[in-house]
Amino acid sequence: MRLTALCFALWVVAVAAAHGEPSDAAVEEYRLAMIENIGQALSGARDLRDALNRQDFINARKAWIGARVGWERSEVFTSGFVPDLDEAIDAWPDANAGFHGIEAKLFGADPADAGDQADALVAHLAELDARIRTMQLTPQGLFNGIVRLAYEVGDSKVDGGESRVSGTSLDDMRNNADGIDCAYRDLFAVKLEAADKILADRVEDDVKWLKALLAVNELRSVDADSLRKASEALIVGLQAAAPELGLSAPALEEAAK
Amino acid sequence: MIRSWTLAPIVAATLVLSLRLAASFPVYGQQTVLPAGSELDEQALVAPREVFRSEAAGGRKSYLVNLGDLAFNAPALLGGVARQAGISCGTCHVNGAANPKFFIPGLSRHAGTFDTTGPLLNPKADNGFFDPVRIPSLRGARYLAPYGNDGRIASLRDFVRNVIVNEFAGPEPPAATLDAIVAYIQDIDFLRNFSLGPAGRLTARASDAERRGEALFVRPFPHDPDMSCATCHVPSGAFVDHRQHDVGSGGLFKTPTLLNADFNAPYFHDGRFDSYDQVVGHFNRVFDLGLSTGERQDLVAYLTTVGDAERPYERDGVGAALKEIADFATVLDTAIPAHDTDVIALAVDTVDRELRELTEQFPDHKDPAVSGGQDERRRARGALKDLVLRLSRIGLAASAGQFDAASVEYRDFRNLALAAVPNLLRAAQQWSLFNPAIRDAHYGALRQMLQTANK
Repeated sequence: MRLTALCFALWVVAVAAAHGEPSDAAVEEYRLAMIENIGQALSGARDLRDALNRQDFINARKAWIGARVGWERSEVFTSGFVPDLDEAIDAWPDANAGFHGIEAKLFGADPADAGDQADALVAHLAELDARIRTMQLTPQGLFNGIVRLAYEVGDSKVDGGESRVSGTSLDDMRNNADGIDCAYRDLFAVKLEAADKILADRVEDDVKWLKALLAVNELRSVDADSLRKASEALIVGLQAAAPELGLSAPALEEAAK
Repeated sequence: MIRSWTLAPIVAATLVLSLRLAASFPVYGQQTVLPAGSELDEQALVAPREVFRSEAAGGRKSYLVNLGDLAFNAPALLGGVARQAGISCGTCHVNGAANPKFFIPGLSRHAGTFDTTGPLLNPKADNGFFDPVRIPSLRGARYLAPYGNDGRIASLRDFVRNVIVNEFAGPEPPAATLDAIVAYIQDIDFLRNFSLGPAGRLTARASDAERRGEALFVRPFPHDPDMSCATCHVPSGAFVDHRQHDVGSGGLFKTPTLLNADFNAPYFHDGRFDSYDQVVGHFNRVFDLGLSTGERQDLVAYLTTVGDAERPYERDGVGAALKEIADFATVLDTAIPAHDTDVIALAVDTVDRELRELTEQFPDHKDPAVSGGQDERRRARGALKDLVLRLSRIGLAASAGQFDAASVEYRDFRNLALAAVPNLLRAAQQWSLFNPAIRDAHYGALRQMLQTANK
């Protein structure tokens, strides 16, 4: 809820800055949402570590799920701006490190063995928390991140998805969609609306469509065909929007750093 | 087939077997559309080789055949759970052959069998009992009427429609789509077998054991002189007689072909037998043939030779994947100018899925199984995603009636798919899941993750 409120507050700022303001100002405002998201993930990871230290596995599982919320929303920027930490925190498939290494133990038969990995997760998220406060962000890089994540949400999850051990893959996808929604609204929506109202409405409708398709009770109820179409329609709209936003065509894969 | 006079086929068969085993990875988890433990064998690094009669004769696949192949591999053709799980006709009939590893708990008794009247895929067709049947190869199907394990349907077209609508809960297919699927199936040829000559007789290369087996095959049964194996499996007629018989397996069932049958196990209508030796043992018992151990071995040697084929499998890789995608996409050459929105939508949907699956063969930076070739993998993934989005724009333009825009987009798609993209993919192939070592590492890591959760 706090995050939604923050997104809205930033959108209000973006509205005020829409005419003639450089997009960099909006980017700096969006940085606050990034800090909020990673802060939530870090806080959750610390709770996870503390619960594991107490052998309180029920609350450790809750904390793991909680930490994932902020993390999945942050995937708009993690793969493009911090690929090294993205891999360390969210390697897949990996039984030995990161969120999914912890997941395999915590939601399996050996939750007590996840302690060392939780320490490492906290350390990596703490490093990320520090880096995002000063790292250089660009509208193009964040635009690329929105597009890349929108594509990923459209991929089939018939095999159980990313977080299949904990059964929270649907949550991952919803949080990805929230991250897309927040970043688009805060960074680009107002400017696109001023430049091309019809296209802006189309993009906004496609974001809503994507989120609506994920508003189901369980992963297997997701209409995968429609989700793929919604994901691609959104990206096609964003590709058309790029020149209106003064951006280049979005990179579908980030160039190596 | 393994022959005593050369080791090459043994090495090839071992390679094929190890690749297939290494790639196996059943569905896992409680959130999946299919039950946990389902095995579709979609990760296999080798696939049955598909030979088209039109191409083998020096011609080319027609528009109809390509459209049929496309529809055959389109989950959108089916309905309900199958569609949601991404299952198409091609999932069970890989490259028009069978899928001996296909297994769905509750619907399969043995791997390679499937209950088409079970509750999961079409509750309306659920007959209330467990009666899985063998998934047949479709090679040479144009010679093998009637259709179905019990030969209950005379027309291939009617049979295909029944599979789509009743067994897999799909919507009523357009007549043109049905015609195309029939054209595709009828173009799938038997693989060549150089051990057989005219009239299905053994050639001069046959061994003594195989010749003794051939003599046993045509020898009258001791207690029924009008019958022999060859009475039903007519060597000059693709080893079938187009009739149903009761051979002591629980009812009347169609005579199956023996051509290419080395690659069609399990055997019998319900897949109860894994080997020719078991099949021969069954007939020996039921028809009281009085075969000695040596005669049984000779008969198995003969069946193995009859069922053999030239290069039964082919290695999956960038080349094979892109050729299939390019063949599927060719239907747009005709469909866009014809403003055929149904076919355009089918092509966009199916090729889109294929491209996304191909993208997953190139692991991203978060996969611990591979560290090299990161730039090459990124370029490959980016190029494939670009094709997906171009395809999506083709679909969006066509559905809006903007066929000129769709044509322009398709021209660019085709140029990229035929030239730039293959080069980018080949440059990244050594770091992709097409590399057995990378594939083993990737699925090994996934298996370890799931085993950690399960132990």
